Amino acid sequence: MLVAFLTFWEVAARLAHNIGIATFSDTMVAAWDLMFGNGRIWEAMLNSNAALVLGFAISAVTAVPLGLAAGRSRILDRALSPYTAILLAIPVAPLVPIAITAFGLSLAARVSIVILFAVIFIYVNTRAGVRSVDRRLVEMAHAFGASERTIWTKVVIPSAVPAMFAGLRIGLGRALTGMVAVELLLVATGVGKLLLEYRDRLQPAYVFATVLFVIAEALLLLELARFIERKVAPWND
Amino acid sequence: MTDVTAASTETQPPAPWPDDASLAAASHGGPMIELRGVSKEFLGDRSSTTTTHALDNISLTVNEHEFITVIGPSGCGKTTLLRIVAGLIPYDSGQVLVKGKPVTGPGPDRAVVFQSFALLPWATVLENVAFGLETRGIPRAEREEQARVLIKTVGLAGFESRLPRHLSGGMQQRVGLARALAVNPDILLMDEPFGAIDEQTRRIMQEELLRIWGYRRKTVLFVTHSMEEAVLLADRVILMSPRPGRVHEIIDVPLPRPRGRETERTREFTDIKELLWDKLRVMQTV
Ligand SMILES: Nc1ncnc2c1ncn2[C@@H]1O[C@H](COP(=O)(O)OP(=O)(O)O)[C@@H](O)[C@H]1O
Ligand SMILES: [Mg+2]
Repeated sequence: MLVAFLTFWEVAARLAHNIGIATFSDTMVAAWDLMFGNGRIWEAMLNSNAALVLGFAISAVTAVPLGLAAGRSRILDRALSPYTAILLAIPVAPLVPIAITAFGLSLAARVSIVILFAVIFIYVNTRAGVRSVDRRLVEMAHAFGASERTIWTKVVIPSAVPAMFAGLRIGLGRALTGMVAVELLLVATGVGKLLLEYRDRLQPAYVFATVLFVIAEALLLLELARFIERKVAPWND
Repeated sequence: MTDVTAASTETQPPAPWPDDASLAAASHGGPMIELRGVSKEFLGDRSSTTTTHALDNISLTVNEHEFITVIGPSGCGKTTLLRIVAGLIPYDSGQVLVKGKPVTGPGPDRAVVFQSFALLPWATVLENVAFGLETRGIPRAEREEQARVLIKTVGLAGFESRLPRHLSGGMQQRVGLARALAVNPDILLMDEPFGAIDEQTRRIMQEELLRIWGYRRKTVLFVTHSMEEAVLLADRVILMSPRPGRVHEIIDVPLPRPRGRETERTREFTDIKELLWDKLRVMQTV
């Protein structure tokens, strides 16, 4: 499957004779150069990922507790619902200039964009996970004299874990999108800067190679999230 | 009782609590559960104004060591009755006493076995059986030791570290039963515990329950929709009628114990079952 795709890519790119489309082999050469020749990918990745890691971490530590609480408390859920509805409904792109105005072309601006992209999906899924808890299990816990705290730790949170991790995975993908989007649109730095530069220099193989690195990172991070989920919630496989 | 104890070295797992021969020989003790004119209405949704009169003026006394089954058409309030005694839902009027004290919520003197098993899917058999001990703050080593004894009692030795979904329905309900017995309650509340289990397994479970119950006669309130089950297990059968839920009649089952499959072939058993059916049939056509 993969081989067929790569062959198709190579052949199609050669036939296209379009200087905007790099062949597979040229892309690989460029990737090698980015890693071990000029080595520019490392610094770019590091730079970009600072925003990603910070933004995603902040999203997770706010959205997970809020989602848990809103899933169980009607009052909090009502209080938050206008904001979550807005965050869900509007496209994030128009918010990017606002963040830039507020924070300038800084790391803080990039971090806040990543948060805007990721936070709502983590929140919504965590909340849904809590909502979907089996009422019969909660009743069972009550019948055996469980305290509210025990019901949380032994029933509600474990049953919310799968949805919570689904939210974290979606949030991660969105955070990556946000990270690259802001670099392409406004703050030319990191991977985004690399992409823009190689495009302007008409070096499509380097553009393709850089994109491949972003994809590889995304896959790696999702795999990492799956791994952690299996550790935390082994009963789901 | 003595032959049960003797057999326990080989085929029977050890009794989960000290065997007390005098206990089995003893006749029924004083009242364990008392309901005096208990009524319960459920309000409809916010949109609708209909209320369901689930229970109407229920009066009932269950004595210590008694095995009571409750039967009646679907919707006659059997589950509601059990949940009220369990302290899981409030009642509107009347009085519910357990060991002479008004019920205000769940308590360590009562344990529930659920039709849906209600096992924690992420917890092992051992953890599920120990759940009621865990909520009581009993340290891990101690509660696991107690749980292992009960796991043996219900015939699940060797399955301690399995997850519920790797067990059959019958085995899952054995876990549910062990979890209830583990907290050593005075009263077992069972809501159609074998209702979701296939017929063959159900029969085995009934015999197992009777065997375990024989060790030390907990007071049992057992809801069922099977007439055979109601008669086979009970000292008395409470027959309920629907809309509103009422105690229609209480039928004594003076069959000798220990009971087993042979009991079902006796004339007395069949007579009581037929009597029950006659009364239920009238209700079904209403
Ligand atoms: N939580 C509830 N809210 C509203 N109505 C209920 C609720 N629980 C039970 N009922 C109603 O009360 C009646 C008795 O229900 P239930 O006790 O479950 O009957 P049974 O267990 O005998 O089938 C039924 O009409 C049922 O629809
Ligand atoms: Mg019911």
